[in-house]
Amino acid sequence: MTISVKDALAAKGIHPSQAHLQLLEAKWAQIQELKGDLTDIQVDDADIALRNIPGGDHVG
Amino acid sequence: MTQILLYATFPVVITLAKELLTKTTTEVAGLIESREVSPVDLTQALLDHAHELNDTVNSYISFRDDQALAEAKQAEEEIAAGNYRGPLHGIPMAIKDNIYIGGEVSTMASKIHGDFVSQDDASVVVNLREAGAVLTGKLNMHEYAWGIDNNSPHFGPVHNPWNLDKIPGGSSGGSGAAVASNGSFTTLGTDTAGSIRIPSAVCGLVGLKPTHGRVAKYGCYPLAWSLDHIGPMSKSVADAAATLQGIAGFDPRDPTAVNVPVDDYLSGLGGDPKGLVIGVEEDYFFRDVDSPIETLVRKQIDELVSRGAVLKEVKIPSLAYAEWTELATSLSEASTIHHNDLLNRPDDFGDDIRFLFELGELFSSVDFLQAQQARRQLKQEFAAAMQQVDVIIAPSLPVMAPDIGSSTANLNGTEVDLIDNFIRFTGPSNLTGLPALNVPVGLEDDLPVGLQIIGRAFDEATVLRVGSYIEQTDPMQGRRASVGA
Repeated sequence: MTISVKDALAAKGIHPSQAHLQLLEAKWAQIQELKGDLTDIQVDDADIALRNIPGGDHVG
Repeated sequence: MTQILLYATFPVVITLAKELLTKTTTEVAGLIESREVSPVDLTQALLDHAHELNDTVNSYISFRDDQALAEAKQAEEEIAAGNYRGPLHGIPMAIKDNIYIGGEVSTMASKIHGDFVSQDDASVVVNLREAGAVLTGKLNMHEYAWGIDNNSPHFGPVHNPWNLDKIPGGSSGGSGAAVASNGSFTTLGTDTAGSIRIPSAVCGLVGLKPTHGRVAKYGCYPLAWSLDHIGPMSKSVADAAATLQGIAGFDPRDPTAVNVPVDDYLSGLGGDPKGLVIGVEEDYFFRDVDSPIETLVRKQIDELVSRGAVLKEVKIPSLAYAEWTELATSLSEASTIHHNDLLNRPDDFGDDIRFLFELGELFSSVDFLQAQQARRQLKQEFAAAMQQVDVIIAPSLPVMAPDIGSSTANLNGTEVDLIDNFIRFTGPSNLTGLPALNVPVGLEDDLPVGLQIIGRAFDEATVLRVGSYIEQTDPMQGRRASVGA
């Protein structure tokens, strides 16, 4: 199943203009091209290094 | 013509007027410290000039005439009493309108926050007040900092002082235009994908995106938390160093601030580039660059090598994913911040940023987290490269500034998307958080061209020093923007 940009945004309650929808489709396709083969490279177990610091925002 | 009172030991009135406003911050600071120039008179002269110019350049959103003159009077009295605080003391300067001054309106150049008043000063405003700076007003910007042309639907377009038909870059375009037209001696911008370095390149300024965490950003309206930075935009490298000195530092109220020592940035400037190791990454930073820009940047690299620097090619393969990673991260974070307003009052956004907020809603959580995986890989590869070199040098932008209203730019005869290309070389340093400095290196069609110096984490001192090596050769040959000169 392919979900259109229009449907994906409508599901969130967001309703772009017709002009925006055409531009969004084009831009989203371009962004997917930029992603290239990223999903195929060795990132499946790469830690993103997001830190959860107990007790506050800063260490020390 | 405004008269400037020299108030040293004898009252001599001379008409330095606008010539004084064209001086750099550090030049005029010397005159303030020696009590040859009055901060009150200097502030009045700058306010007169900025007001006069605002119909043309439109760099200010709001002025603080009365408050600025009161701050200047206080500075003057302190200096007269022998309590000179440093190079920002008594200096009139404006700041971008997403940085809060407590009790006063910060609009973010938006309709939605058009009457927003913060209770607190931003961390950087606290620091500027401690340094004795005089705050003359708030500067125009791209709405919510989410764009690069400053063609504001709410506050009007900002015009480039080098050519009023051209954009000033953005999102800190009001900051760039104000300093380039001598409407502020130095200023602060914010940078999430290049918004300090882009307008600095386009307006012929020195602009520094510091290391992420070096300058606390409490009290700055966010665009994308993990990518946002505050930094100086100035007339010279020394001015950028002095301004960074004034704002750098830890504030526990910013969860991303890092508590590390702040260097003495001014004292490290100048000297000789002999032995400096310059890294060049050809595959990403020199691919698809407008030829005149590439020529001017390579000329400066050659000049540094001729003075004793060493050139070394570095490889950073993950840059291949940098554009997607920057877009996935910035669009997702920005759309999260503005999600409720996009649902409830979308018509109150400018059309361009409403489009970007809609676009940002399309990324999945897996997209965002894959971007963070790619980002960490990029950070590791940059760290490895920076072990081999002192700095990496690249063009700041691959294209020149287009006319106001254009969504494209010319790249060697082909029209290309403006936003994508303006952030292509600046975005990686937002992802890595590494410091990056724009230095003007010449003109093409009477518009400035910028070179970017990327350094090691928290090593702004080296980045600024390399900037000063380039500045020593006067690549701009004394040229400045004609409007406001």
